[in-house]
Amino acid sequence: MLGFLLVVLLIPYLIAAYGLLFVKLRWGLRLFGAFIVATIALLTAMFLVEAYPIIARDGIAVFLEARWDPVRESYGVLQALVGTVLTSAVAMALAMPMAIGVAVTINEILPARLRGIFGSLVDLTATMPTVIFGLWGLFVLGPFLKDAVNSVSKSLVGDEVMTSPYTLFTAGVLLAIMITPYAAAVIREGYALVPKPVEEAIYAVGATKFEAALIKLRYVRNYILGGFFLALGRAMGETVAVAMVVGGNFSRFTTNIFESGITISSLIALQFPNAAAYQYMVPALFAGALLLTLFGLAINAVAIYIIQRGQI
Amino acid sequence: MTAERKAEDITAVRMVINWLGLGLFALLGVAAVVPLFFIIGDVYIKGIDAINSLGGLRHFLIELPPTPYDESGGIGPMLVGTLYMTALGALLGIAVGFPLGVYIGEMRKEKFANVARAGVNVLVEFPTIVIGLFVYAVMSLAKEDLNQYLLGPLSNAISPLGEWITWFIGPLDGFNAYAGAAALALIMIPYVALITASAYASIEQPLREAAYATAGREFNALFVVLRKAVSRAVLTAALLGTAKIAGETAPLLFTALGNLYYAPFTGPTAAVPLWVWYAAQTPYEVQIASAYGAAAVLLTIILIIFIVARIRG
Repeated sequence: MLGFLLVVLLIPYLIAAYGLLFVKLRWGLRLFGAFIVATIALLTAMFLVEAYPIIARDGIAVFLEARWDPVRESYGVLQALVGTVLTSAVAMALAMPMAIGVAVTINEILPARLRGIFGSLVDLTATMPTVIFGLWGLFVLGPFLKDAVNSVSKSLVGDEVMTSPYTLFTAGVLLAIMITPYAAAVIREGYALVPKPVEEAIYAVGATKFEAALIKLRYVRNYILGGFFLALGRAMGETVAVAMVVGGNFSRFTTNIFESGITISSLIALQFPNAAAYQYMVPALFAGALLLTLFGLAINAVAIYIIQRGQI
Repeated sequence: MTAERKAEDITAVRMVINWLGLGLFALLGVAAVVPLFFIIGDVYIKGIDAINSLGGLRHFLIELPPTPYDESGGIGPMLVGTLYMTALGALLGIAVGFPLGVYIGEMRKEKFANVARAGVNVLVEFPTIVIGLFVYAVMSLAKEDLNQYLLGPLSNAISPLGEWITWFIGPLDGFNAYAGAAALALIMIPYVALITASAYASIEQPLREAAYATAGREFNALFVVLRKAVSRAVLTAALLGTAKIAGETAPLLFTALGNLYYAPFTGPTAAVPLWVWYAAQTPYEVQIASAYGAAAVLLTIILIIFIVARIRG
């Protein structure tokens, strides 16, 4: 009944908000603001309710155990949590230098005519459907990385470390390509805000372009940190592309990035279709979603705080 | 003399470091966009081949997808589903996102507007699969009562209009096009709102005062006079947001679910990204080929929207 009321009342709510825009503008606008806040509150509450059965049964253990065995109705999402951390770490390590490179390239190196085109290409990378990244990762990047990593490891340790094209490492590299534009956008925004007098002072003491870029990057370090956290949030939540290349290994716990693994979001995407057949799997997956939501809230809070504190 | 030589040496070293450092930055920056060309090239080379081998473009755009034993096929149902859900999602996204953006952009002095702004910032970064799961949870709570009290009687009342109406309105399944559109709208709302807000925030104060002075009512000032100053940015936001949700897969996984046939929108609905996701992971050559063809079509739609947005913006 609750859900029914929710869906049915949504329509008069929106109509009322629109009506109020004409009569009492500010209250109409406030209703739109309330809509978004209510959505987030409802989302969190919904996941708490849906995840409650498994949390009531296993307590916090559902987040701390690495067993995913639907047949025995035993669920732990630790391996997915570790997978999320590992893929994000690989992605961030590769994406941050690229994002800074993008910001400096656009602002310092390229001639003014080419800046817009280069910026558009970066933005296009952010607009590309994630499933197309996944397709490319599945048939091109995965096999390529396997050959590349194995030929390096053969000459270094004399062994093939990457046994499958679809591993946590593949997912991390693919994620790096996907999230670079998000970090780059924030850094670019900060970079463009460096005051003209500061820039003139930098060149007045005889700095080269490279030294000027380093000084400016230090000046916008809050934006770099903010971009880092925003991109991290994207990396942790990305689903489809990761699920296609991560290998889908639910059961075995691994911390080796060159092995197949799983992340929380890809666990949800890959296991949800069969979840209804088991008693506790749906709550377990909702517990995973709850974890993602809390991570998302925390990371965004930090990012927003950092960017606002450092507003130049 | 020696001091001068030394200074020259230092300058030379600094110049070398300068070029090396700038070169490194440029290399990193270029590395960020090079994969884009590889991806677009890969999708079009394999995709156009696939479309030709599956029966030509016209055939590909209207036929049912190939089963593992077929030699030809298309993505007709997926294209219809994607267009329908994207259109609905984009309309709802703009309808809610635009006023929301005006609120958080123009009423920055209000405390609650800042709360709403934080909410929008959080929602725009939310994992899209979480949004899909949320809509799924609401849907499964609401479905039965909705069908019993509202949609059942309604579809009986409008059934005299003809068979076609049951394709759009009727008792809902757990998975349907409207849930998919709702999930897409939830992704689009914060996106449109943020860009609208920053466009309104960038209006200069004298212009704002002039608008308030001449418009008479606050509504006219905000939505008629000042809208003209930001319409370009808002239009770009709407187009880019549409391109974004047209390619979303994760939020549709548990809301639209996907389908292989032309089917009523009240039940599981097909979508191009869902087909790419499903078909790419099958072991059958013909379905993988159709995934590439579908990806090429999807990419074309998104590139067109993107280029239009860039030229107009």
